Amino acid sequence: MSQYYLMQDAKRCIACRACEVVCKINKGLPKGPKPCEVVIVGPKFISGLPKAFFKFMPCFHCEKPWCIAACPTGAMQKRDDGIVYVDETLCVGCKACMSACPWGVPQWNAEKRKVVKCDYCMDRVDKGLLPACVTICVTKCLYFGKADEIPSVRRERAARTTAYFE
Amino acid sequence: MSDKETLNIKCEVALTRAEVKALLDRIAHPRCRMFVEEIIALIDDISWGRAELKHMDALRKLARTIVDEGECDECIRAGMKVLDALDQFAEVFISHIETRNCPTADCTKLAPSPCQMACPAGLDIPSYVTLIGMGHDEEAIEIIREDNPFPWVCGLVCTHPCEFVCVRGRIDTPIAIRDLKGFAAERVMAKGGYKNPPKAPPKGKKVAIIGAGPAGLTAAYYLALKGYDVTVIDALPVAGGMMMVGIPRYRLPREVIDREVDMIRELGVEFRLNTRLGRDITIEDLKDQGFEAILIAIGAHSSYKLNIPGEDDYPQVISAIDFLRRVALGERIKPGRKVAIIGGGNVAIDAARTCIRLGCEKVTMVYRRSRAEMPAHEEEVLQAEEEGVDFLFLTIPVEVRGSGGRVESLRCVRTVLGPPDEKGRRQPIPVEGSEYDLPVDCVITAIGQVVNKEGLTELPDLKWSRRGTIQVNTVTMETSITGVFAAGDVVTGPATVIEAIGAGKRAAEAIDRYLQGLPQPKRPPVPVRRRQLPFLRTTANQKMRLQRPKMPLLNCDRRRITFQQVELGFAEEDARREAYRCLRCDVCRRCGKCVEVCRDRMKVDALPFGHFDFDHPVETDFRKVAEKCILCGSCAYNCPNDAMQVEEVNGERILSICGTELNRLKLEYCSECGAPIGPERYHDFIFKRLKDFIDVSPNVKLCIDCARKKSAKKQDETMPPVM
Repeated sequence: MSQYYLMQDAKRCIACRACEVVCKINKGLPKGPKPCEVVIVGPKFISGLPKAFFKFMPCFHCEKPWCIAACPTGAMQKRDDGIVYVDETLCVGCKACMSACPWGVPQWNAEKRKVVKCDYCMDRVDKGLLPACVTICVTKCLYFGKADEIPSVRRERAARTTAYFE
Repeated sequence: MSDKETLNIKCEVALTRAEVKALLDRIAHPRCRMFVEEIIALIDDISWGRAELKHMDALRKLARTIVDEGECDECIRAGMKVLDALDQFAEVFISHIETRNCPTADCTKLAPSPCQMACPAGLDIPSYVTLIGMGHDEEAIEIIREDNPFPWVCGLVCTHPCEFVCVRGRIDTPIAIRDLKGFAAERVMAKGGYKNPPKAPPKGKKVAIIGAGPAGLTAAYYLALKGYDVTVIDALPVAGGMMMVGIPRYRLPREVIDREVDMIRELGVEFRLNTRLGRDITIEDLKDQGFEAILIAIGAHSSYKLNIPGEDDYPQVISAIDFLRRVALGERIKPGRKVAIIGGGNVAIDAARTCIRLGCEKVTMVYRRSRAEMPAHEEEVLQAEEEGVDFLFLTIPVEVRGSGGRVESLRCVRTVLGPPDEKGRRQPIPVEGSEYDLPVDCVITAIGQVVNKEGLTELPDLKWSRRGTIQVNTVTMETSITGVFAAGDVVTGPATVIEAIGAGKRAAEAIDRYLQGLPQPKRPPVPVRRRQLPFLRTTANQKMRLQRPKMPLLNCDRRRITFQQVELGFAEEDARREAYRCLRCDVCRRCGKCVEVCRDRMKVDALPFGHFDFDHPVETDFRKVAEKCILCGSCAYNCPNDAMQVEEVNGERILSICGTELNRLKLEYCSECGAPIGPERYHDFIFKRLKDFIDVSPNVKLCIDCARKKSAKKQDETMPPVM
């Protein structure tokens, strides 16, 4: 895993997809590729009520990325801080990474005829900025930081929901 | 962009774009960026062949706005750069717009095909060959006639420099470009499908053209189309020049010339035949008659002399040019029974084969070098041999001998070839004491032609070259006298029909500019890419297996007694199939990007395209692509001109180059949504690379959308319920 962690508090997410839009704007992408996507799971009935689950799906920046193993040209690379990214000058568009990734992360940029993927906006991160999606999120449900600095909202909430006062 | 990268760009359009792009990368101000991006978009239009002349003004206006309103140094520099380039190289920019052709190939999408660049008249060969393959002969002739008013003549007698550079020739044999043109022209003419383009409104100015040969008639055609009153003057009683009196009828039937000349006459061009310059009319007369521009295209109708004893003593020593002219004009009398032809060029062959047809018993060609050095075309030498012409190589005539005013023999001496001189030609050296007599009663000399200056001596200001030809500016065909132009053999010395046509076209353009008071071009014209046609679809197997068809010939006995056309023309099926061999070099510029990606980057090495390398062609076999190709499509995604294409049709992924199918594999589908996700061999390639992660290739194959959805769902299931 990378040093960074991008956490989504799914409970607060309203699937407005501002993250998807700003991601594409930041990378200047045409129609089609979505380096991050809010996938709607459900709706299904929980305690008799219909509920949908909005899952934010960026790249997980795996410890042992299959995309890197699959890439024949060495375009898919991993930085020392763990960010997995595509070197566009080396990508020839064979799409091997897209077939290899179990999470469907690498996307096809038909305009450039190259693969594009979530790199945590590493150019922004290197400047001390947050990834574009985190910056724009209207419900503030996305958190980005070093893995050990991530707030424990989910743990707190789990504690709150299970605790009860007499 | 570093200087090193821009140094390699020779095209001013591409260079300007690269320099502006380099500046753009350093501009941060959004307004300046927008300006400069717009500039690049306009230049892209020009270098991709989709611009109009309006683009020039738009570009200039935008550049000026940037210079006036730019907020940073970089964008002002970009504006200045564009203004500079537009001032200095306007001609190059306009040529890109008008011809959709970039002779340096730096503007990738406009890279020229070698055949078109080799053609002195710049015919758009890939387009008309494709049209013939499609069966659209009429359109093919229309395209040819935009550059050449004589498609039929050229289809029969052109020296086809295009075929010598044909890329297909690096694989097996060149496309039969000339014969395809002849095939289409004959069919279209037979069906009455020849049409002249619409004429421009009359300009009310008169142009005189002296010489009704290919150069003069071509100029007449283009000038008449531009709306000028054109008068063609010729000393001979027939129009056609050397095409009529130099090329024998068995190669070029008179009807072919007559019909194509008639198309020019239909445009309102006036012909004054039997009118010799200097004898019947002078340049002064023409000026008095109101001709504002004059084109001299009188050809090279005099012969070099042998300068040997006895040459001038006998009436049976004649020049091939005079002989061929007399025969062409109807005098069918054999010059002698045993004839010696001196020379090894095409004219010598023409004279020899004409002698055979007139009934000469023995025709011997005497050439001072060996067969390999003969300037005549190989196929014609072969045809002459079949008809019974004898050859004496390494032989120089030294004296014509005879008695009583009749030639009795030709004294010859043997030669050996010396070492190559600075031009690379091996000079023949006579062998002492090897003289012998060849018994002949007629000698025909064909050792080259010169310009007959007779009618031009009245022009003292006319400058001549050392070779005895008129000196001109080769871009505009202007002579040293204002308003007098020259084109064809009179400028180049004896050359080919197609060169004369090219020169005639250039002269017409220059005369038009001269009469309109426009500045003349500084660079030679760039051939016009008429259109980019869709590919002819074929299989790799057919592309490789098809062979250049053999030209059917008249049987040899009949060739020896008549002047009937020897080459009978392709059968329709042969012609259409021949077009399918064309590699479409107007689209595939053989940059080698596909091979580099496949071999060096993907390490698949499936593309044996040896013909890409001009200097060291290795094997090309389209059929072998399917052996290794995994159909990843990288070659197609990296092809700058979309010559390589990958598409998914009817459950298969297909790779093709310029319409030739290279590989075709069945697709596999997403097990969730059924979307196609590529062929099995492609997945095997990827799984082989993943063998450290996956033991067996998974039986569940997902498209990327379903993979994402499925993993989101899985996370939902593994998460604790949130209340």
